Amino acid sequence: MFGYVLANGNKLTKEEKATYKAHYCGLCKVLKEKYGAQAILALSYDMVFLELLLADLTDSEEENGRERCIAHPLKEHEYIITGTTGYAADMQILLSYYSLLDHIRDDGKGKESEKKLRAFIPSLEEKYPRQSKALKDNLSLLTENEKANTRDAGMMSLIFGTILGEIFVLDDSSFFRDDLRGLGCGLGRFIYLLDAWCDREKDRKKGAYNPLPDDISRDEMREMLLDAASAASDAAERLPLDQHVSILRNILYSGIWSRFEDRKKEK
Amino acid sequence: MTDPYSVLGLKPGATDDEVKKAYKRLAKKYHPDIAGNSAEAQKKMQEINAAYDAIINHKGSYQSSYSYQGGYSESENDEPIELRAAVAYINARRYMEALNTLNSIPAERRSGRWYYLSAYAKAHVGDSIGAMNDINAAIAREPGNITYISFRDRLSGRRTQYEDFSRSFGNISTGFFPCCFPLFPFFPCCCII
Repeated sequence: MFGYVLANGNKLTKEEKATYKAHYCGLCKVLKEKYGAQAILALSYDMVFLELLLADLTDSEEENGRERCIAHPLKEHEYIITGTTGYAADMQILLSYYSLLDHIRDDGKGKESEKKLRAFIPSLEEKYPRQSKALKDNLSLLTENEKANTRDAGMMSLIFGTILGEIFVLDDSSFFRDDLRGLGCGLGRFIYLLDAWCDREKDRKKGAYNPLPDDISRDEMREMLLDAASAASDAAERLPLDQHVSILRNILYSGIWSRFEDRKKEK
Repeated sequence: MTDPYSVLGLKPGATDDEVKKAYKRLAKKYHPDIAGNSAEAQKKMQEINAAYDAIINHKGSYQSSYSYQGGYSESENDEPIELRAAVAYINARRYMEALNTLNSIPAERRSGRWYYLSAYAKAHVGDSIGAMNDINAAIAREPGNITYISFRDRLSGRRTQYEDFSRSFGNISTGFFPCCFPLFPFFPCCCII
């Protein structure tokens, strides 16, 4: 489900690439410090996007540094940690844990990782009741619909979008909570739909659930994705973003299509 | 009301980017952590928010009689009480509550206006599919209503805007992977050097 919110590398400047990478490394470092080395396997670009977005929106102070890490033992690299990195890391763990539970239920894989993450969940749920409730309620709604074989991709994607919408709202009393919710929801719909599109061959072979109709064409798929992406971008454009706006726009208007375009090349 | 641009210390017609920068500069200045929790700073922050909202969210065809500027007066008394509550929530930008209130109204009492309000709130929480369905239902009930039609244009317009801007990035998108380690945990990392 995760790993679709990419940037378009061709259109990032050298500085933008460095910024993106430093925020990525910052999130990785915080994940490791808070949740252990195992947790960095959960790191996803979706949460890098969220961190960049919230850091920009809240004008968060930056802590810069350089270090070596497991992935890059030979060469020091720069990292940036902001006031919102911790939040993005917490959300990453919540999301990973619940999607892991799904995997275990589906094919029994992931029990070891589940055990390691489980200990962190009660305190996260206590700290973020709104986000946790949205996650649990909507994931079980998705499961119910999967069991009933509800082939309604629009509705299913909206349920998943609701989860990401809540996660994007860092502070529910913020003036910008609705635009954040709209952005998260649109992006969540996009992720869900693209994931369903990428998995449809595999699901058909396995006889597994897929929300898309069997005969959906690439053009029809593009229409649905466009609707989700333009809802997300419309909300994003209403936020007062300036610091990372060109990276965020790169992702929203171009990078998120990478995997969809990849699939075209395969054919 | 005061000119929203002057609240932000800008000349009328300043670009959105200038508005956003000015907003952030002022929001920082009057943030409770810096300005303290004084009533004056709070009032100032409300003014800044309202000015930002007026410029960024209420321009062009998005102008709505439900915005806080226009207010909602003409037919208020003809509406069922539930619709008035929904309008109040929409004016306060509390769209989830607006939708809950709207959904408590039974289907047989749902008017064109109900569908418009529902579409408006849905569009603001990211449900563009639901918004499009509802605005079409509103137009089916009141085919000549300009507000409904311009709202539908606005909804489809953002698609066009998205596609235009998207095109400026070129057609070929290549994912940027700052570090391949988390993707391939069991492979020696190719970006060590």
